[in-house]
Amino acid sequence: MEQIRIKKLTDRMNQFRETLLDTRQNVCSERALWTTKAYKEHEMDQIVLKRAYMLKEVLAHMSIYIEDETLLVGNQASSNRAAPIFPEYAMDWVIRELDDFDKRNGDRFYITEETKENLREIYPYWKGRTLQDKAYAAYPESAKLIYDLGIIRNEGNITSGDAHLAVDYEGLLKYGLNHYRHRTEEKLSSLDLTVFDDMKRSYFYQAILIVLDSVEQFAGRYAQLAEEKAASATPARAAELKEIARICRKVPMEPAASFQEALQSLWFVHLILQIESNGHSLSFGRFDQYCLPYYEMSRQDGMTCEAAEELLVNLWLKTMTINKVRSSGHSKFAAGSPMYQNVTIGGQTTDKKDAVNELSWLVLETVAATHLPQPNLSVRYFSRMSQPFMDACITVIKQGFGMPAFNNDEIIIPALMAQGVHEEDAYNYSAIGCVEVGVPGKWGYRCTGMSYLNFPKTLMTALNDGVDLNTGEKICTGTGHFLQMESFEDVLHAWDQAARQLIKQGVILDNCADMVVEQEVPDILCSTLVADCIQRGKHLKEGGAVYDMISQLQVGVANLGDSLAALKKNVYENQVISRKDLWDALVSDFQTPDGARIQKLLLDAPKYGNDDDYVDELVVKGYDTYLDEIKKYKNTRYKRGVIGGQYFPGTSSVAANIAQGASTPATPDGRRSGEPLAEGCSPQHAVDVNGPTSVFKSVSKLKTKEIAGGVLLNQKVSPSMLVEKEDCLKLSALLRTFFDVLKGYHVQYNVVSKETMLDAQVHPEKHKDLIVRVAGYSTFFNLLSTATQNDIIERTEQNF
Amino acid sequence: MNAFLFNIQKFSVHDGPGIRTSIFFKGCNLRCRWCANPESQCAEPQTFTNTKTGEVSPVGKAYSIADIMHEVLKDKAFYEHSGGGVTLTGGEVFLQLDFALELCAALQKEKIHIAIETAGAVPLPRFQSLVGQVDLIYMDLKHYNDQKHKDGTGISNDQILQNMAWAARHTNLIVRIPVIPGFNDRLEDAKAFGTLLAQMDVPQVQLLPFHQMGDQKYNYLGWDYAYANQKALTKEALEPFREIIANKGVNVKNGAN
Repeated sequence: MEQIRIKKLTDRMNQFRETLLDTRQNVCSERALWTTKAYKEHEMDQIVLKRAYMLKEVLAHMSIYIEDETLLVGNQASSNRAAPIFPEYAMDWVIRELDDFDKRNGDRFYITEETKENLREIYPYWKGRTLQDKAYAAYPESAKLIYDLGIIRNEGNITSGDAHLAVDYEGLLKYGLNHYRHRTEEKLSSLDLTVFDDMKRSYFYQAILIVLDSVEQFAGRYAQLAEEKAASATPARAAELKEIARICRKVPMEPAASFQEALQSLWFVHLILQIESNGHSLSFGRFDQYCLPYYEMSRQDGMTCEAAEELLVNLWLKTMTINKVRSSGHSKFAAGSPMYQNVTIGGQTTDKKDAVNELSWLVLETVAATHLPQPNLSVRYFSRMSQPFMDACITVIKQGFGMPAFNNDEIIIPALMAQGVHEEDAYNYSAIGCVEVGVPGKWGYRCTGMSYLNFPKTLMTALNDGVDLNTGEKICTGTGHFLQMESFEDVLHAWDQAARQLIKQGVILDNCADMVVEQEVPDILCSTLVADCIQRGKHLKEGGAVYDMISQLQVGVANLGDSLAALKKNVYENQVISRKDLWDALVSDFQTPDGARIQKLLLDAPKYGNDDDYVDELVVKGYDTYLDEIKKYKNTRYKRGVIGGQYFPGTSSVAANIAQGASTPATPDGRRSGEPLAEGCSPQHAVDVNGPTSVFKSVSKLKTKEIAGGVLLNQKVSPSMLVEKEDCLKLSALLRTFFDVLKGYHVQYNVVSKETMLDAQVHPEKHKDLIVRVAGYSTFFNLLSTATQNDIIERTEQNF
Repeated sequence: MNAFLFNIQKFSVHDGPGIRTSIFFKGCNLRCRWCANPESQCAEPQTFTNTKTGEVSPVGKAYSIADIMHEVLKDKAFYEHSGGGVTLTGGEVFLQLDFALELCAALQKEKIHIAIETAGAVPLPRFQSLVGQVDLIYMDLKHYNDQKHKDGTGISNDQILQNMAWAARHTNLIVRIPVIPGFNDRLEDAKAFGTLLAQMDVPQVQLLPFHQMGDQKYNYLGWDYAYANQKALTKEALEPFREIIANKGVNVKNGAN
């Protein structure tokens, strides 16, 4: 193919899309009720069996329906975009916020009185039994203090499941679940129950068999429903429903033999994984690679290109039906209720050839035509990517819904190999969630998504001799107070010492959360579909995956460097601000008599994002502490069979930069108290005034190859700047330079004008499908809180 | 030797091929009434006063060759990948000719593509000395009529036309016409421009529609702006104007790309 063709949706898919856009987000209590019943009945069972019985109960009884427009079936909750409640993870916040769901500023959910009543009724059972209750109780005292003060956050890790992975969809389609069933039966029958480890394995294998039966029955329920509906449908629809019924009796248990069978099989499993656990960033992996054989098969059998497109659109619309409700506090970190269901296309095959195929083009075209925040589309860039495909990506970027994002093979493959990933697996990586990467079907949970560390707040604590400025609590051993720091080296030393202690506390929180997740909420289906869980007889949290490396998130990397530069320049080199005046200005949020002068001097200091070595080197230096310290730590799967078992650094921050900024005092970069922090490795908003080449140069000075977990960069471009073909070619050259020469990791674009966003704040009804890129994912502008909306509006617009 | 500049702009994409860095020389021998960079006119340091905040910031800074090369080389990878380079613009680059020549030598040593953008109102030998060192030259033509040219810019177009005719024959030349409402935007003007450009055999012409990107700068300088309330022109509106010129056999397009 040479040129992208973004077609209109078919009438019925358009109808499906419109209905979804008009659907209010509800809260659904069905899963919570069935889960409670199963847990009560299986109190005595081993946890893996209890989890299997839970899934069985839910799949057997939850409401199912088939939308009039759809060719692919399977629903997550009692209505589309309704968010189920997962009581085994956390219930306190659910009950506490029941009456506030529909009053939130952002991420609003509607809930009926009946649902509230249902949830209140089961609450007493869950008191003290949830993941959150048990993990919090297990937190060691020092780490608990840090958690309570909000210095390090990992609420998401103890209030929901893990996910953040792509399971082996290739194997699923090729072999069907029956293959996994037979393998499990074989393994089970060969166990020697006098051996302790075999005894443990036996429960896991039994759990898999229960779950696979439940999945088969669940698909059967849809087959039956489709047949029932066919009886009263128009002849054309009846034929479709009968075909749906046939397919549901076949997949996901049997191998797929057509495009529709493949997509249905995929959807069933993808869906059930999101009923089994409420972890998000459950990704599709390299969709264009493993689905290609089924696409080609059907095309040869006479499927038209239009029919293939409709099926794809149908699948993308289905991803939009999945939802998740988070606590109001956690919503601020993941604004716009994102599910981060990533689809990766392009890149290279394991034999290093261009992997772009006919299906890659169709995915790009149909995601563009569907134009919704889900799925989250990533394109693997590599230096030999064809210009027509690059142009096609830019055409889609121009549409302004933040997709596709680019991940760069040229840095990611060597970075993964440096972490111990085998070459053929490294060439097969896919994006997970937003910017991070893993090997589909072989990698455990959370290649990203562990705890968040707030860098600027850590710096302020370091300058305050280890005492948190907001609460007066001593949270780490200090090296003295800023007022006594005679040289800039003292400042760097203080940062280094404080940061190392807090990084260590973050690891303690992570490991403690992981320990309790392993004990309380193992995922059976998810483990079934990741190599080598069946082989080892271990679920993912026990070390079942081939690879298991995790990364954390940091907030305000740029603010740290900018702060160090402003201190160095003004206090130690030019000596235009005394330490006392600066400190007084910071703690009073620049309200001292000469606070305005001081703030201006700080703001005028060199800022990261402008290709200025003075400050960029300090960003690198500040980050070196993190790189050096995090290397030392292992996760709970270390030496339990996995390759890795360690941390690797990454710089995502999702929307945490706003929430964490709100509790961060004024900082030496001139940022006022409460203002948002910088996200990922992006510069602080509105300080990168030298254009995109300078931003790329600054970002490229980070030790990207060591930051294998992801280096997130957001850029905003005014749509008027991408009108001319010539401008698009220049964007293409810009990106290729960033990736080929500077070895950048990732970049994503927001191409929505400031005017449009300002108008959407005043007239949300006119912009119900306005989509913006937040930080590694896209979401509806209308779902965001005013603070997040403003944050996006304020990002520096790069002009072309 | 130092030059006095008012800006170094990275990722400049409308002043030549590829991704470029534009070097803005301060000081100009024309006084175009519509000038979008009024701070480019005086060769001396000035200040901008933000009319909202009262904040005062300096305009213009001295740079050595080394200073400029330090900035320029930062984006070398982007020039190489995009077929871009450096554009010397202003103000009027010829008013700091010796420096410009030295800068060109430094850029040539780094094998960087050089473009200049000039009104070209300097004696031919001086004009030739710099033009001979660059890869691409943009010349502005504000008016075909000498009196009108004087009214709009303060100087005659004699020298400009003489240099342009030479450049058309001897250099890689693109002529740019800023189309200014009420000054040179009538269809008769297009006809006359077309005739003149065809006569000189100018290889390529670009029409730049009048815009209002500079109006805030007049406020910041505390200057009156003759075109303060004039609406910007669109590329589309210039199409009939362009067609007339094209009909004279001139290769002409709307916009700077």
